[in-house]
Amino acid sequence: MRPTKRTSETWTVGRELPSLSKALTQDKIDAYARASGDFNPIHIDPAFAAATPFGGTIAHGMLLLAYLSEMLTDAFGRAWLAGGRLKVRFKGVARPGDTLTVRGRVERVQDDGRRLFAAVECLNQAGEVLVVGDAEVRLDG
Amino acid sequence: MDIAALEKGHRFPPVPFVLDEAAVQRYLEAVEDTALPALCRDEGQAWTPPMALAALALRGLMEAMGLPAGAVHTSQEFEFRRPVAVGERLASRAWLAHRSQRSGWLALAVEMEATDEVGQAVLAGRAGVLIPQ
Repeated sequence: MRPTKRTSETWTVGRELPSLSKALTQDKIDAYARASGDFNPIHIDPAFAAATPFGGTIAHGMLLLAYLSEMLTDAFGRAWLAGGRLKVRFKGVARPGDTLTVRGRVERVQDDGRRLFAAVECLNQAGEVLVVGDAEVRLDG
Repeated sequence: MDIAALEKGHRFPPVPFVLDEAAVQRYLEAVEDTALPALCRDEGQAWTPPMALAALALRGLMEAMGLPAGAVHTSQEFEFRRPVAVGERLASRAWLAHRSQRSGWLALAVEMEATDEVGQAVLAGRAGVLIPQ
């Protein structure tokens, strides 16, 4: 594997992954619907969504995972694409107008630093955890 | 398809899919991903975003399942086995791994994989879904 800048770095327990923030809008949710082909009205139809228990449109869960994946790609490069694992639970919903932050932290390192486990999450501007889970990468991919 | 009537072990028909250059560009713009283009420039390769693969594999699955409005995506697992080049032809396959009822909800877990043209898995995953009853 040709190491990218970050995969050549040393990852130690407790180290933070490079976080990122996204301002969520209905336009972005609509763009994701077109890109993914997921036109569930809960995401794109304000009138339909207003009549649901959510009271309005919500972002696709997979859009939030795309943000997590961007962070993991930035952190680990090709190793994320070749052997990366992600296991998450959706605990809350993201709405238009939210500012989302994805972040992560190395929790365990094994095999002389070649296998790495990180806790990851996506939060809104109120600090509410919307997605929480674990990621694993093998840096010798 | 009556999703509520499906038994554990039910296999959904395979769904072929491909992410071409235009689809990848549309996806990257939608999710505002700058990390993957940087990696591709670094490696001189046009890779598909792993979560775009996952989203397309899931889309085919969800369409096959005919999930009703009100279904809630509760959990997700993915393993990305290898980088996938833009334009590779893939197929997603899925089966019902778990089925239970609780408090007016039908809880399903669906396991899935996406394979390449020689049948090698490039992506595996498991989705948890709650359906109101």
